[in-house]
Amino acid sequence: MMHITSLKSKTKHIPIATLADPPELYLPLYGYKGTMDLLVQPGETVKKYQPVAASEGVFAACVHAPVSGTIEGIEDINGQPHLKLINNFKDNEYELPSLNPDGLTNAQILSILKEYGIEGSGGARFPTHLKYDVEGRISTLIINGAECEPYLSADYALLKNELPALVKAIQLLQKVVRAQWVVIAIEKQHRELKKLLSPLLPVHAIETHLLPNEYPQGGELQLIKSVTGKELPKGSIPAQHGIMVSNVGTLWAVYNAFYGNKPYTDRVITLSGEKARHIGNYSVKVGTPVWFIMQELGMDWNPEQQTVILGGPMMGRAVHDARSPINKGTGGVLIMPQAKANDNNCIQCGYCADACPQRLMPMEFVRPEARADKERLLQLNLTDCIECGACAYICPSDVPLMKSIFTGKQTLQAS
Amino acid sequence: MNVNPYIKPRFNTTTAVMADVILALLPLVAVAYIAYGLQALLVIGTAVGTALVTDFVFSAVYVKKTTAVLDGSAVITGLLLAFTLSPATPWYVVAFGAFAAILFGKLLWGGLGKNRFNPALMGREFMAAFFPVMSSAAIWVTKSFINVKEIGFLGTNSYLATYTSGLLYKTTGALGEYSVAAIALGGLYLLIRRRISWHIPFALLAVFSTGFWLVNDGDDLKYSAAGVLLGALFMATDMPSSPNSPNGKLYYGGMIGLSAFAFILAGVRFEYMSFSILLLNGFTPKINEVFMPRAWGHKHDFKALAEKVFLLTLSIAGGVLALLSLHYYGLTSYVVYLYIVYIIFKFNFSFSDKISNPI
Repeated sequence: MMHITSLKSKTKHIPIATLADPPELYLPLYGYKGTMDLLVQPGETVKKYQPVAASEGVFAACVHAPVSGTIEGIEDINGQPHLKLINNFKDNEYELPSLNPDGLTNAQILSILKEYGIEGSGGARFPTHLKYDVEGRISTLIINGAECEPYLSADYALLKNELPALVKAIQLLQKVVRAQWVVIAIEKQHRELKKLLSPLLPVHAIETHLLPNEYPQGGELQLIKSVTGKELPKGSIPAQHGIMVSNVGTLWAVYNAFYGNKPYTDRVITLSGEKARHIGNYSVKVGTPVWFIMQELGMDWNPEQQTVILGGPMMGRAVHDARSPINKGTGGVLIMPQAKANDNNCIQCGYCADACPQRLMPMEFVRPEARADKERLLQLNLTDCIECGACAYICPSDVPLMKSIFTGKQTLQAS
Repeated sequence: MNVNPYIKPRFNTTTAVMADVILALLPLVAVAYIAYGLQALLVIGTAVGTALVTDFVFSAVYVKKTTAVLDGSAVITGLLLAFTLSPATPWYVVAFGAFAAILFGKLLWGGLGKNRFNPALMGREFMAAFFPVMSSAAIWVTKSFINVKEIGFLGTNSYLATYTSGLLYKTTGALGEYSVAAIALGGLYLLIRRRISWHIPFALLAVFSTGFWLVNDGDDLKYSAAGVLLGALFMATDMPSSPNSPNGKLYYGGMIGLSAFAFILAGVRFEYMSFSILLLNGFTPKINEVFMPRAWGHKHDFKALAEKVFLLTLSIAGGVLALLSLHYYGLTSYVVYLYIVYIIFKFNFSFSDKISNPI
């Protein structure tokens, strides 16, 4: 692992502001796995919080209308289906049965997690109801506040400003998992949070754990190792080892669901980057397109002069479509200058291997990937790569390491 | 860029890596100038100049890249080559060495980063193969060129003072070997800047000195401490030709130290460091394979690993013996001739297709 200048101080102390509702929304119809089916017809008027699409099966997921308005239809953005919703700014609310969070059974909690569309907010969007369906085999519950991506400070802002709410969410989830040990893990650079957290410790038996300022400390496997000392192989399910990891953003969604009776329709993101204006932490509706966020904050959508990234700078995705929306796993929007890549040969410096948190040799992937040598790629443990981007970040020659990792993985999946 | 990550650290380009190495070598140029004046600068200048010209011309022709010369690697090759030479080496021999180092040591492999052997040492072996004067004792007679004989930093009145002065400055050996202190300083800088890791120099020096400590008549063996240090810090750590994993680096460094010691024991007078580094360079891909780091959550098969390490060590020992026999019968130049044939064929039949690949 390695240290990356965090650049969080730009935004971390800015309170969470609420961004205005956009005139049009694009709700992602894809979940952790598979796509969702529509529950409404194009042309239909929907109410705020009304479920509009869902999928069944193991990885069941659903999405709710964040505002009231008219369903326009399905549009393809970045190769994925999105449901276009035109806001009528009337805020007619869908009638949801009222909840008494303190009197719920485990089964009821899980079914609300499912019906309110709660997903992992760290990026992977794993359905939370599935994750917590464990029947008390959990010894450690880790709240992931590492947010190791540079620039992003949304989780920090939540911990700082909404701590009592997050604690309520933890207590609710604790009913299901009954872990002996509950830890909030934050990076050392945020140690001032520890003071804020420490009064809670005796009352709620929640501990704070300081993590080194290293990338990618927020990776699930790396986080588990730092907190518990256990090195779980990639692909293993932490719950089977008695460990449960949940993101701060997920807790916020859980709190809003159970105590605000609000399905997962908004989240906190960080807007930052070298070319961004009015940077800060914003609460935005799921489905808000980037063009609207930029317009609201006084910027123009101009793909020739800037790179717009959904997520963090290390693992995020540059978007070239102005309609690209915030989804439940998006922790930030970054406006960055267009980057220039070097054109140099690999000098075998080994920096990528030193930086790799999974202890792989990223420079070795390039050649077998080019000749589609599956056997060699497997031998090099390409499947253990967590795609954190540390290797490509540190490479002095800008060798397209991530590109060869992505294509290499596609090659392996094709078999 | 179309894929993540979208940020890069500042000042971390290939050129920055090369600039750090050049910076670390500059004190040695200064010391060489103090010791042998303009004669030293002539040798160093010829080596660096020829390396740059060769890099420019042949990169343009073979690698189809006219900017390759700007990356700074040719300067390092030139400097390192000059640092292994006697200040009395004729300029045209130096120029030939630098030319061979760049062309046969680097470009015919496909350019920067693709060479399997250290280019500077390759150049040195080419000089030895084509100019018999390089292997003669006469070339080391340099008294008449000396600029500043000694610098009495601490006086000469005690053994300790003389010994320390000797570490700071002396005028025997090759151009890069006049100041152990300056070499160490450059190495320290590279370590701090993380351009080299401690593994290779540490293992190399540890094994090398343990060898002397174990052998009874160690004090009578002739070797240059500065030369070993220069090799350990600057030559053995050459990025393309050395292994990448921490354990691989330790093994590689240790084996260089061991082979260098074996060569000295067997009476190799000048080339023990370049022989052992070049020999181990050849084993680098195999070492990378055997010492592949244990991936996260995986387990090592220690039995299989032990067997692989044993076989690898055996083949390195075989390499040492083969080189020793060739050296004994004065046949090492034939290795160079064979290498020329090999690299030209390899370039024409496989390397030239992959020139545009970054790896």
